[in-house]
Amino acid sequence: MKYQSFVGLEIHIQLISETKVFCSCPNNFGDEPNTNICPVCLGYPGALPSLNEEAVFKALKVCKALNCHINEKAVFDRKNYFYPDMPKNYQITQFESPFGVDGYFNLELDDGSFKKIRIHDVHLEEDAGKMIHDGYQSRLDYNRAGTPLLEIVTEPDLVAGRDAELFVQQFRQMVRYLEVTDGNMEEGSLRCDANTSINLPGMGLGTKTEVKNLNSSRFVNKALTYEIKRHGKILDKGGEIIQETRLWDEKTSTSKSMRTKEDSHDYRYFPEPDLPPYRVTAEMMGKVESAMVELPNDRKKRYIKDQNLSVEQAAFITGERETADWFDSLLKLGAESNQSASWLSGDIQKVLNREEVTLEESPFTAERIKELFDLINTKKISNNIGKDLLQAMFKEDKDPSLLVKEKGLEQVSDTGAVEKVVDEVLAAHPAVVDAVRAGEDKQVGFLMGQLMKATGGKVNPQMAREIIMNKIKGSE
Amino acid sequence: MDKGELVKTAALAKLKLDENEVETLAIEVSAMLENFSMMMEADVEGLEPTTQTLQQENRTRRDEGPIDSGDNLSNDLLERVPEKEGRFIVIPNVI
Amino acid sequence: MKKYKEYVENWEKKIGSFLQFDPEKAKADSSSEGPLKGIPFGVKDNIAVKGFDMTCGSKILENFNCPYTATAVEKLQNKGAVVVGKMNMDEFGMGSSTDNSALGETNNPWDTSRVAGGSSGGSAAAVAAGLVPFALGSDTGGSVRQPASFCGVYGLKPTYGTVSRYGLTAYASSLETIGICAESTAMTRDVFNIIKGIDVMDNTTVDYKPSGKDDSNTIAVLKVGEGDLSDDVLNSYKVSQQRITDLGYTVTEVELPTLKYVVPAYYVIATAEASANLARFNGIRYGLAEKGAETPSDLMQMSRHSGFGDEVKLRILLGTYVLRSGFQDQYYHRAQKIRTAILNDFNRIFEQADALMLPVFPTGAFHHGSSDLTQLQQKSADLYTCSANLAGLPALAVPSTIEKGLPIGVQFTAPAFEEERLFRISEKLEEVFPVQNPEGYSKEWNK
Repeated sequence: MKYQSFVGLEIHIQLISETKVFCSCPNNFGDEPNTNICPVCLGYPGALPSLNEEAVFKALKVCKALNCHINEKAVFDRKNYFYPDMPKNYQITQFESPFGVDGYFNLELDDGSFKKIRIHDVHLEEDAGKMIHDGYQSRLDYNRAGTPLLEIVTEPDLVAGRDAELFVQQFRQMVRYLEVTDGNMEEGSLRCDANTSINLPGMGLGTKTEVKNLNSSRFVNKALTYEIKRHGKILDKGGEIIQETRLWDEKTSTSKSMRTKEDSHDYRYFPEPDLPPYRVTAEMMGKVESAMVELPNDRKKRYIKDQNLSVEQAAFITGERETADWFDSLLKLGAESNQSASWLSGDIQKVLNREEVTLEESPFTAERIKELFDLINTKKISNNIGKDLLQAMFKEDKDPSLLVKEKGLEQVSDTGAVEKVVDEVLAAHPAVVDAVRAGEDKQVGFLMGQLMKATGGKVNPQMAREIIMNKIKGSE
Repeated sequence: MDKGELVKTAALAKLKLDENEVETLAIEVSAMLENFSMMMEADVEGLEPTTQTLQQENRTRRDEGPIDSGDNLSNDLLERVPEKEGRFIVIPNVI
Repeated sequence: MKKYKEYVENWEKKIGSFLQFDPEKAKADSSSEGPLKGIPFGVKDNIAVKGFDMTCGSKILENFNCPYTATAVEKLQNKGAVVVGKMNMDEFGMGSSTDNSALGETNNPWDTSRVAGGSSGGSAAAVAAGLVPFALGSDTGGSVRQPASFCGVYGLKPTYGTVSRYGLTAYASSLETIGICAESTAMTRDVFNIIKGIDVMDNTTVDYKPSGKDDSNTIAVLKVGEGDLSDDVLNSYKVSQQRITDLGYTVTEVELPTLKYVVPAYYVIATAEASANLARFNGIRYGLAEKGAETPSDLMQMSRHSGFGDEVKLRILLGTYVLRSGFQDQYYHRAQKIRTAILNDFNRIFEQADALMLPVFPTGAFHHGSSDLTQLQQKSADLYTCSANLAGLPALAVPSTIEKGLPIGVQFTAPAFEEERLFRISEKLEEVFPVQNPEGYSKEWNK
């Protein structure tokens, strides 16, 4: 690669809350248009913003998780520009003194190494309404106007589209762990704008372009890869990059110019006089710290190191916080980590996928699965019966030991009883018995199959095999 | 302030000005700016800016909906909308 | 009630203080009990009262029926007071005469060829004529105190943050408060004590914590220079100084070195905030919407063009300009520092004195139009009032003397939360020098 590339991201996440950030309208914008509106979020004369403490709390959680310096005095500012989806024609945001600045995120790259990505700042702001355009008019729905939005701005420390894709994925995973957003990119609860510039090595940043409309982490990668290539081609020809905002078009897999720097806004930021500065107290930070959770990358490391999981297993289990928490409670009950991990990523996941439910929604509590493991490990049931039992547990929502009893699935380990069935099987298949006796040990499998068929799989297979061999070979 | 600056400022403020207004406002704005320039004489060395007075405690609101007053505020607000279609507010198309 | 309506209607033909008068409209929203039971009051037309219009004296809100009620109004209604109408004002509070109202002219009850002052001219005029015993106004740079002085009534600008601004249409949010025009000190105090307090709807409301020292010993008096005041106002000011001396206060003359910079600082901050506060009026969600626009930008520009008056446009332009990138340091940031300087001036005075007396306005009520004072002169004349707004301090205009048939007021200011200190000074003066009323005044509302 002839050029060095620099990529920075601006990520917006919609915070989960009952009410909007500056008024008590429901934070629920899927409702019928313009139902969740009031004088405040519709920008009525005389209405004033009133700060939602939950939004502050969640903002600070993200700041903390991103290792930010927390500004002692966080200030809100007005960002002035006219646009129909923004009722007041200014946005309440944070500019000079946001909640968090100068943080970092440890990004795990494909080769397993980590790279520190610096975070410029984390600030809280209000979202705009939605506009739907048709041929001759635009329709406005302000249900989303004034809902809490958190913007995270990185430094241009990423170098390629793939880095940015990984960042978005791992960042999304992290904020979902923090339970501050659902992080759904398609629905816009996590939105990403990317900026990039390239330059000859050692020359520092180049002229940057910004790409918008990236509603999946894959598009982030594609768009940036495209942009970096486009910049390279221009520079190769001795051309100049124009600082501009571009729109990614997924259909054509190209970016198009949206507006250049010349027609960029002068936002005339100034401190929001309607909101006093928010002083972040030790008490609030205490509350934030006690609400912090072990973040996915740390957790993954712990599983690999302390629980001897494979990288793949650890990645699977830490994918969603729900799964990882569930895994941890299983371990707490005394389950073995590899057994837990392989069941979780294997048969349990298969059932969940087939039934289209999450772990949380399923009847699979950690206690029940531990009980299932105990039944298998004490040889009360076979591994295969265990798999069938899982399905029954899901269907009937019952404890595994109860199901074993109800269905009579307990493994038969009583020697006398097994001998009796073995005798019946051997008597029914004299030719096979002869073959085994002649040294064709493979044929034992057939006899085992017949035995399992006759008992519904309940016989302890090891014991059965021994008895068969004794009866055939030992009787000589 | 020259007329160019005035027009640029007016555009930022979404104010359409007719020619007469540009003429008179350019004079009035300039007179006020001259008055503002008096501030340059003031010695403000070492002074912190005051953007708000008196406020010392944090002011926040609990994340709770309002007590349902029974009246349908959103319908009241929609009644005041100049152009609408169903529950949508309608404006000319954004180009 | 019929006689009261007649009384109001007769006065209104002469003074035009109300934009809307309807004692029945919001009666049901007031408690039938309480200390202010049945007392009528007027509300400046930039303060929300459900059922009434809220025009702010502007064409852009000419037919805007208000769907909600301001916190301060609601508190008064809960104590039994009844809103009887909405008071005329300079458009969005921008002016010193009420002549900048797009919806009507208000005259001074003492001389109808003169202005009632502004921007709360309707509120002050109605109280002066006895149409209501008190009215709410708003004070951004003197908009309650100056018309109160022009009309011979009491005018309080409370400490910033003590009265909720929820429901007050914002002009300059960091400077303004809802204020009170009233016929007596006692009424001013009663209304203030009802409307003050923390409001969850206004995050800038503060804990009310007065020092407890309600009686003053020393009153500082601002030294005025040659030509600072008109002859009438100067004469009145000297009388006021004599009166407080006679009442036994220790009087010391003081200066405010920052005073000469407060007007530009005030206008920079006020217009900057106004440029954002008035951005919401764009013809989309409510208010005037021009027909025939082809783009949203057109719709906004056309509606704002025909909806806003000249003074409003001027201030929006100024405010937009001073906030533009590259100009902020020179204007906006410097103004905020001057704000600190005037606050320091006041603090120095209050180390030595319990209150400060100063003029309200350099002249008495002037004639309509610009013949007495040009628009720029009117703005420069805000210096004595806008200082308290920059510093967030309480200030009370008290009727003092009648000069050539026109009332002249005097102003007292004190440290934050010391409203009671101001009321006590005012009350002492009121006992000895009762308020005078214009010809034709009658307390009809009380009969």
